[in-house]
Amino acid sequence: MALVSMTVNGSAVAREVDDNTFLAFFLRDHLGLTGTHVGCDTTQCGCCVVHVDGRSVKSCTMLAAQAQGCAVTTIEGLATGDVLHPVQRAFHLHHGLQCGYCTPGMIMAAVNLIETHDGALTEEIVREEMEGNLCRCTGYHNIVKAILAAADEMSPSHAAAE
Amino acid sequence: MLNERAFKAVGKPLPRKEDLRLVTGKGRFTDDFNMPGQVWASMVRSPYPHARIVAIDVADALGMPGVLGVYTGVDCARDGLQPIPHNPVPSTNFDMKLTGPGGTKVFIGSHMLLPADKARHVGEAVAMVVADTRDQAQAAAEAVAVEYEELPWVADTLAAAEPDAPRLWDELPDNVLVDSSFGDAVATDAAFARAPHVVTMTAHIGRVTGAPLEPRAALGSYDAETGRYTLYAGSGGAVRQKREMAEVLNEPPENLRVISFDVGGNFGTRNRAYVEFGLVLWASKKLGRPVKFRAERSESFLTDYQGRDLVTEVSLAIDRDGKFLAMRASNLSNVGSRCASLSPLSKGAGLITGSYDIPVATLRARAVYSCTMPTQAYRSSGRPEVTFAIERLVDKAARELGFDRLELRRRNMVRPEQMPYVNAVGSTYDSGEYEANMDKLLALADWQGIEARRADAKARGKLLGVGFANYVESSIGTPKERADVIVRPDGVEVVIGTQPAGQGHETSFAQVTADLLGVPFDNVTITLGDTDVVSAGGGTHSGRSMRHASTVLALASVEIIEKGCALAAHCLGVERDAIQFDEGVFRVADRNTSLSWFDLAGRADDKSLPESLRGGLKVRCDSEMHTPVFPNGACCCEIEVDPETGGLEITRYSTVDDVGRCINPLIVHGQTHGGIAQGVGQALWEQCYIDPGSGQPTNGSFMDYGMPRFDNMPSFKTQIVEVLSPTNPFGVKAGGEGGTTPAPAVIMSAMEDALSEFGPMDIEMPATGLKIWSAIQQGRARLAASKTA
Repeated sequence: MALVSMTVNGSAVAREVDDNTFLAFFLRDHLGLTGTHVGCDTTQCGCCVVHVDGRSVKSCTMLAAQAQGCAVTTIEGLATGDVLHPVQRAFHLHHGLQCGYCTPGMIMAAVNLIETHDGALTEEIVREEMEGNLCRCTGYHNIVKAILAAADEMSPSHAAAE
Repeated sequence: MLNERAFKAVGKPLPRKEDLRLVTGKGRFTDDFNMPGQVWASMVRSPYPHARIVAIDVADALGMPGVLGVYTGVDCARDGLQPIPHNPVPSTNFDMKLTGPGGTKVFIGSHMLLPADKARHVGEAVAMVVADTRDQAQAAAEAVAVEYEELPWVADTLAAAEPDAPRLWDELPDNVLVDSSFGDAVATDAAFARAPHVVTMTAHIGRVTGAPLEPRAALGSYDAETGRYTLYAGSGGAVRQKREMAEVLNEPPENLRVISFDVGGNFGTRNRAYVEFGLVLWASKKLGRPVKFRAERSESFLTDYQGRDLVTEVSLAIDRDGKFLAMRASNLSNVGSRCASLSPLSKGAGLITGSYDIPVATLRARAVYSCTMPTQAYRSSGRPEVTFAIERLVDKAARELGFDRLELRRRNMVRPEQMPYVNAVGSTYDSGEYEANMDKLLALADWQGIEARRADAKARGKLLGVGFANYVESSIGTPKERADVIVRPDGVEVVIGTQPAGQGHETSFAQVTADLLGVPFDNVTITLGDTDVVSAGGGTHSGRSMRHASTVLALASVEIIEKGCALAAHCLGVERDAIQFDEGVFRVADRNTSLSWFDLAGRADDKSLPESLRGGLKVRCDSEMHTPVFPNGACCCEIEVDPETGGLEITRYSTVDDVGRCINPLIVHGQTHGGIAQGVGQALWEQCYIDPGSGQPTNGSFMDYGMPRFDNMPSFKTQIVEVLSPTNPFGVKAGGEGGTTPAPAVIMSAMEDALSEFGPMDIEMPATGLKIWSAIQQGRARLAASKTA
């Protein structure tokens, strides 16, 4: 057992957990944050993506202990009160989700892509960069649309125009 | 009659009601639920494709930390558990009637939760371990010592149908459980004998898996005080799971509650009960603790119900002008080790002639057992298989006989004035404008510009290929549906027994309800997925939900409007006939008084109401509708092949889909997109491959099963056509499967076109880069040889 402490969605948390506890299960089972999903157990599907110190991470193969002292953001921490993050809003408006199981990881990966990509995003770049996230429902079409729309809304030039 | 002019929600691309919880991490998937005192189950799975279970030694496992129990097939039998009653033979009035050989009853091998006799596929659960934690249960499962006697096995579809193949069930002389014939064999033979041209093709539409991203899970608990079981298990319909699990456990259905809220993808894989659903319930009673199971992805690949796996042999007789005279087909479906569903075989059987007017046809439909995971209806059950057969055969006929492939199709398509059209095996196509679909598609896909794009690709060293396919499919499904419509002062609630797994029922059903009652869309909520609330219903499959829901809601709306009128008359002190209902308002003619639904609902519980008006403003309505509908459309794609590597890129993909009335285009387009990806996946990457030497499935993760991904899929051009079906009040057909149905055919059609310079190709799906590259090499060698000769 190990005492693991970190900041999750802005709150300090500490839990005594088995050494082999992965971050995804730390979030789901120990903190009750079940928005982070596990779809493959092996870092292939991306349903479990969260942000650890501002980086996109597949939490199903990162030990909770490796996030010791880190700042973790999950899908539950993305909206500001009742106001959805632009990426969450874009997924809704562009029907970028169907069953919703891949959606939390998809949104977290997309947020990180938009925030960290230098220059304008194009369909080709989105398809290339998001390749580590799988969706079985949407054929990706509307997710690409949603990410491009959110990127546009979040871009400095968009803000300047308003 | 529907007042279309009053539609405010129906037909609008409204964003979905279910999204808010799903984009904020507040979904309610099975594994999100936990119960106090909960323990974990893990399965011991057979490593052999076919093996007798000689003995199971559980002593070591029982002694391991945290282990609470180890259970085997012998224990199941001792407790009198019943097999899962899959009821696999489709039985609505309009389903093709499948029988065993010689017209006998189809033999259904019993599907016990754990087998006591033998394992019939790799991965079959032969024992269950329950322990305090999942890790402990998994570790102890490794310590269960099963003594097996390996038996000869067969996995391949054609091989399994051989008379001397290793036999799975002693009750049958071989593995063939279905052998039925349809159509007019004599007339077909005569037409073939006279025909100047006959074109023939054999194809195997391979085994794939649904791969919903939520691994299947189950949480069972038993309450000794009430004697009731509760099962959390995402599925294609909680009502069905309740009925079947009650039978398995020998309990009356009312002793079970099944909860299926958010379901992380289904595509057919979840429409049949899994053994783990029964096992966690059974163990929860034995141990007095809630028991949870969650499949790992590798378990999902091994033991989720799989799809397709049909071998088809088809011939078409054609006259000199290119008119189709007759068709002959023989379809062989691999149901796996147990018969969970014959829907794929049955569905396909009714559609072998596709979109074409073929006067006579005959079909032999067979199904075989094999040492593989059972198959089930998978996205557009049976239809992509037969669409592949007829569409690829028409392409072949065009090529061999020198017809233009579009012209040959035009010459033979079922025409609108022939509707309702009875095809040669007896299916009645309800409505559709098939050739108009084609014309719309050719415009959408810019067919005119193909040669310019081909030249452009060639200049870049690429081979452009254009695929084309028409399709017609059937939507049948369980005939019964029930809806409760309850009007309250703050809104309308609809309780209904369908089960979405992403199809957006909470939105589209609310659109229908809103317009039927004349209330705002925002005031309607849909309740699904808890059998203590949802008393009956058919679940979601075969594209049935929108059609059945809108129909039962239309019936319910008539009843509740009548109830509202009676209540309004009482409240306003007039005769019933003085009340007029229009767009959500109850009025008295010539009087400036009116009541809204919500005003009325506020008075519906009034104790002073006369007896006949008491009980709240609510109705329960049942409908039964057997008549199928036939969604249809056309599809075109362009691919570019790199001849040096066999690499392939889909550059354009366009579809036209007649879905009947489209309630929500945003949702229907989304359904088409996802459907396309699954059909394309089968054509290019997806395959549940079994090693022919060992019988071992080799796909255990997303590393070794080729999924459609962001970077191998294009954006799509999809167009919805609404030729209303005359079979139901809203004219709905279905929108969930049209993307998938023509996709394998259209991709392979494009492949053939791209590689046409190398002569006829012989590439089986999935057409991987290696297969494409090899075909090009062989083609080049042939061309070189013919030049030297």
